[in-house]
Amino acid sequence: MPEPAALTPLRLPPYPTVLKPYGESLVDLARQRDDIVCLSGDLTRQCEADLFAGAFPERFIGAGMAEANMMGIAGALARDGHIPFVHTFGVFATRRPLDQIINAIAFPRLKVRIMGFMPGVSSPGGPSHQAIDDVALMRALPGMTVLDVADAVEVRQVAAAIVDVDGPVYVRLKRGEIPVMFGDGHKLRLDRADVLTRGGDVALFASGMMLAPAVEAARLLKTAGVSVSLVNVPVIKPLDTATVTDVARAARVVVTAENHSIVGGLGTAVAEVLAEAGLGRPLRRTGLRDTFAEGARTGPYLFGKYGLSTQSVVDAAWTALGRRERPPVAEVALADPGEYSPV
Amino acid sequence: VTQTPRVSGSGAHWTVTDPARLATAIRLRAVRMVAPQGFGYLGQALSSAEQVAALFAVMRPGSDRLVCSPGHYVIGIFAAAAELGLMDEDAARTYGQNGSPVEAIGTERSPVADYVCGSLGQGLSAAAGFALSDRLKNKDRRTFAIVSDGELEEGQVWEAAMFAAHHRLAQLTVLLDANNSQVDGPVDTITTIEPIAAKWEAFGWDAVDVDGHDVGVVIKALTDAAHGDKPSVLINRTSTTHGLQCLPPDADGHFIKLPPDLAARAEAELLARLEGRDA
Repeated sequence: MPEPAALTPLRLPPYPTVLKPYGESLVDLARQRDDIVCLSGDLTRQCEADLFAGAFPERFIGAGMAEANMMGIAGALARDGHIPFVHTFGVFATRRPLDQIINAIAFPRLKVRIMGFMPGVSSPGGPSHQAIDDVALMRALPGMTVLDVADAVEVRQVAAAIVDVDGPVYVRLKRGEIPVMFGDGHKLRLDRADVLTRGGDVALFASGMMLAPAVEAARLLKTAGVSVSLVNVPVIKPLDTATVTDVARAARVVVTAENHSIVGGLGTAVAEVLAEAGLGRPLRRTGLRDTFAEGARTGPYLFGKYGLSTQSVVDAAWTALGRRERPPVAEVALADPGEYSPV
Repeated sequence: VTQTPRVSGSGAHWTVTDPARLATAIRLRAVRMVAPQGFGYLGQALSSAEQVAALFAVMRPGSDRLVCSPGHYVIGIFAAAAELGLMDEDAARTYGQNGSPVEAIGTERSPVADYVCGSLGQGLSAAAGFALSDRLKNKDRRTFAIVSDGELEEGQVWEAAMFAAHHRLAQLTVLLDANNSQVDGPVDTITTIEPIAAKWEAFGWDAVDVDGHDVGVVIKALTDAAHGDKPSVLINRTSTTHGLQCLPPDADGHFIKLPPDLAARAEAELLARLEGRDA
């Protein structure tokens, strides 16, 4: 088993945040790569693609509110050697144009990069705007690479990391203020999940926005005498099955944490690995429990209500271990404007 | 909220005596619904206020149906419903708040309208389905659908338009809010959707182009639309800042910022108009 790569650089919440790390990195990459084109479905600023549009107007395509057409256009551009980065919210990137993604992009294994912003219940906009099933939908497509990155350090690296993947890629990206969790030396790798801490009681796998509460949960569990192997899983497909198997084998129970339905995403992917490896570890999946969420004023309210809090992760580990006493209680670190804390 | 009837449901009663006043009241209530958050879908209420007022003036309570395709527009419907006593005042006050069923982007579960879509471009299909159902059941009732001009970029709208015309769903009437506003900017800078009326006519619809802020004109067009043998569309030319002079000229129509001082000025302006201090 490889040694933990990034045990120490993780900071404590509240985390500082940055704006538009992805948008800036795409511009940087496009300066070196004139094969990159950028498409946006009427959400250009929201998806940080305004920076690209400003820098390379001749390579920017405002496709309007027409996602099915946008995917068809992107497929044809990729057939002709362009590398299209397609931008909209995750819901609109995956639900409406699913058939077009399948036939115009995935089946021909074209190098289209679909950037789905505002994952899960980070949007308070209600079920029509909340991508709670995008990972499941994209993971089901043959040849699709699926990422859910955790922080600004990873976000900054994602465009360069995926640009040459030989096939289509789907990336979930948080919108707005992006927390900085990792140190500068952290490398986003497509072939390996990051073991951040080692412990023999709980194997905790987290992706995307759930890394922050998972880090807090691991810290809290440790204070209660429960040791945790915490694994950041930015690439959900193809999953680093070797790390998942090794870490799970060394633990008594397994917990997953995702800002997504527990059906079809990270939790399901880990379950598949455990079952195929014959590892009989109790598994608890945190995420939306086969339910749609709702519209609200704030995303954090929904993270609390729909089981995406630090406490939810702690409780999942606690019950998996069969502990009967009360679990440790998570406290939310107060975040000033411009900072980020998990719920 | 669970007690709030849908416009076509039994138990729905209202009367509109002054549609122009109702439009102003919709604007005032929309300002008050958005103010606690400091931003929101006020532009949609401002551009559609006369259309919503006209709808409530023309719809037969407990019979005709209302579909709101762009869920962001549901604020105007809530405002009208609260003004007309169809929706509880306290419920309307919870608009967009955590835990409230009165969600800012309307959903399936939203009160008042018969059907609200949150994902854009889908409502006309539902409205055509309702109109088809009424035909199958021999029901004499109309279905009205609020559709936005930005939605015309979505292919499904045109699939539904062809279907409705093919099936001669004459009881279906679309109020198209042509406010030339979408997230990325003016619609005509993103996609050329003109000539709108000629497109719908080519698809087999009766189409009229009207001033969407002249409530009398909209009411007359809605009334006239009942008589043709084709589905009808009213192309209502509007603005996302209409009827609220205090808004800055560069206000983002899709998502207007309304800090407390601006909210107070907006409220005062609209109250003055309602009370006749500002003709």
